[in-house]
Amino acid sequence: MASDLDFSPADFADTASAVVAACSDAADLPARMALLAEAGLTGILAPESAGGLALPLDYAVPVMQAAGAGFLAAPLMETMLLARAFGDTDTDIATALATGATTATIAWSGALGSTGGIVGRAPSVQDCQHVLVFRTDGTATLVALGDGAQALPEESLDLERPEGRVEVGTLTGPQLDANAVTRLHRSAQILRAAQILGATEDAMNRAADYARDRVQFGRALADFQAIQHHLARQCLAVETIRNSIARSLSPHCETPVAAARATFVGACDLGAKAAESAIQVHGGMGFTWDVPVHRHLRMTKALAAQGGAAALKRDVLDRLLSGQNKEEEQVHV
Amino acid sequence: MTPTALADRPQSSNVGPDARKWLDANLPDALREDVLQQTPRTLADMRAWEAQLHKAGLVGSTWPEAYGGRGLGLRAHLDISREIGRTPMPESVNSIGKELAGPIIMAVGREEQKLEYLPAILEMRNIWCQGFSEPGAGSDLAGLRTRVEKTADGWVVNGQKIWTSGASKADRILLLARTGTVEDRHKGLVLFAVRTDTPGVDIREIRSIDGERHFCEVFFNNAVVPEEDMLGSPDEGWAAATRVLSIERATNRMHRAWRFENQLQHLVSACAANPATRELVERDYAAQLADVSVNIDLLKGHVETLVGSLIEGEEIGPRGSLPKLFWSEAHQSFAALALEIVSRFPPDMSDPLRAVKLRMEEIYLKARAETIYAGTTEIQLGIIAKRILKLNRKA
Repeated sequence: MASDLDFSPADFADTASAVVAACSDAADLPARMALLAEAGLTGILAPESAGGLALPLDYAVPVMQAAGAGFLAAPLMETMLLARAFGDTDTDIATALATGATTATIAWSGALGSTGGIVGRAPSVQDCQHVLVFRTDGTATLVALGDGAQALPEESLDLERPEGRVEVGTLTGPQLDANAVTRLHRSAQILRAAQILGATEDAMNRAADYARDRVQFGRALADFQAIQHHLARQCLAVETIRNSIARSLSPHCETPVAAARATFVGACDLGAKAAESAIQVHGGMGFTWDVPVHRHLRMTKALAAQGGAAALKRDVLDRLLSGQNKEEEQVHV
Repeated sequence: MTPTALADRPQSSNVGPDARKWLDANLPDALREDVLQQTPRTLADMRAWEAQLHKAGLVGSTWPEAYGGRGLGLRAHLDISREIGRTPMPESVNSIGKELAGPIIMAVGREEQKLEYLPAILEMRNIWCQGFSEPGAGSDLAGLRTRVEKTADGWVVNGQKIWTSGASKADRILLLARTGTVEDRHKGLVLFAVRTDTPGVDIREIRSIDGERHFCEVFFNNAVVPEEDMLGSPDEGWAAATRVLSIERATNRMHRAWRFENQLQHLVSACAANPATRELVERDYAAQLADVSVNIDLLKGHVETLVGSLIEGEEIGPRGSLPKLFWSEAHQSFAALALEIVSRFPPDMSDPLRAVKLRMEEIYLKARAETIYAGTTEIQLGIIAKRILKLNRKA
């Protein structure tokens, strides 16, 4: 457990921010993955036998927060989760992922039977060597790209981690069982929320800085109540996401499954609305390509789609309809 | 009572399940919010019920045993609050006593005041109301005009309070008044525990949008309050009270998220039991109901994280505005959605559907007040902008 360790999740925040900043100057994805691996971030969740740090999920939260705030152009969340998931079953691939020796992503949309087909929403897939493909039986296969599977070029909302579709012919490669896939999806809900948290906080800080500097009618924009209220609502969004992540990971949480899902679905809505509001505070500048708040908004919308936020709402209602609002399950990710 | 002191208290692990068991066995049908009620409940019913809750250890869990509490920590209070929230029971008629006056008395009162007032609150012998707001001082409390003057007989009070919820049923009013003039703003403010039957105290009910007469205005016309009913000394009392208030604002009615969940579950379960209404919610309201449920989970995030912070001994300060803003708006949007759904119930609706319809209509109307009391939405936004984001400072 986290409390037994000499350091806290927050201790990773500064390291993660520095590495993410260094990544923005790196030449390509392998170079970025190497920097992330060198700092231990790709293997933060992976077992020590695979060269990882074997830390609980809360340690990955500040890392993904820094990735979100710092426009990280790498499938870091996918790498962390895959290195952990394969840690018990395929040490070679887990080690390659944790040490940055290979690059991998996950096709979050679609599931294939035995005959192959097309899956989608795989971030950074054009630059990766492997892609995890979900199967209709609940399992998943890590397919090598170029080896019976190829990435299809596609327009992508997210500029940092362009999504692509993948055409899969033969489904061969290391397997994850259904339990590992379930755990991966649930962990991803928390980590996506963390990434959105970082992005939302950065969008808010940029809007607040702009409002303090920009003078109109002889006053800083920040002096106008209408602008203050925009920024206060952005702050509420940031703190709501932050607190919900903390609750989802707390040992005191009664319903961790529902909490993780609500954290992700809530972060998608709150993060997008806050980024939209941050664009509004920037006025005309906010609509320009150069003010990077739109990149946060694009990323948040892409993460919402990758995690199936809209479809998850149906699961929430089904749980209410079944009356099982107090879940028995006490499994933490 | 400091948060650090609370952290040192025992965090009993069984209080939640014990509370659940007791509530399931003891909530009278006549007080259930999720069934049709033929006769309105009386103040006597509520006094009896809340006194029973206290006897069962479900109220005042964090108060010291010497004052009628259980001396437990905040985590235990959270565990009990969750179960209270999950129970379709009426809100306390003495929440001002239990969650505002009580903690302030504990912070600034003299020992004999604590021994007199605190057990009486928990045992429901004394119901309290809050005399802060005035016609000219609502959100801007420092503009209050009610004056107190020291005489040989005691303190003489003159002025007017308004929006004093429950004053006509209360035994004591927590009065905030000033010794000097309104120009003194925050200086010279003083707190009193005034008996509502004091000559010169005149209480008039105000009818509110839900049709009830819960709200009151309270007039003080040369009302004489004995020296021993002053809480803390002038200035000091108010300063300590504001510190208590910042914690109380963040932690009061801790059961709220779970009560909202009970309301939502009541609505959805009632709809699910009938094919036509089940189809209605599945077809037209799936995403919106999910949003309500997600918001309730997000609210739990605020509450549970705040409890964790308090146990760690952290200052809450302006962060208390975040859950207030969040829950009040989330509950209003839930209430508006619920009202729309129940408006589509068939005319030959069953009693369970009628019960949910009446409950949601009442919630909708009462929720209008939630973004107004305890600091309006606009006040909370201002606090967040100025005190959390510090927008008035250069980057």
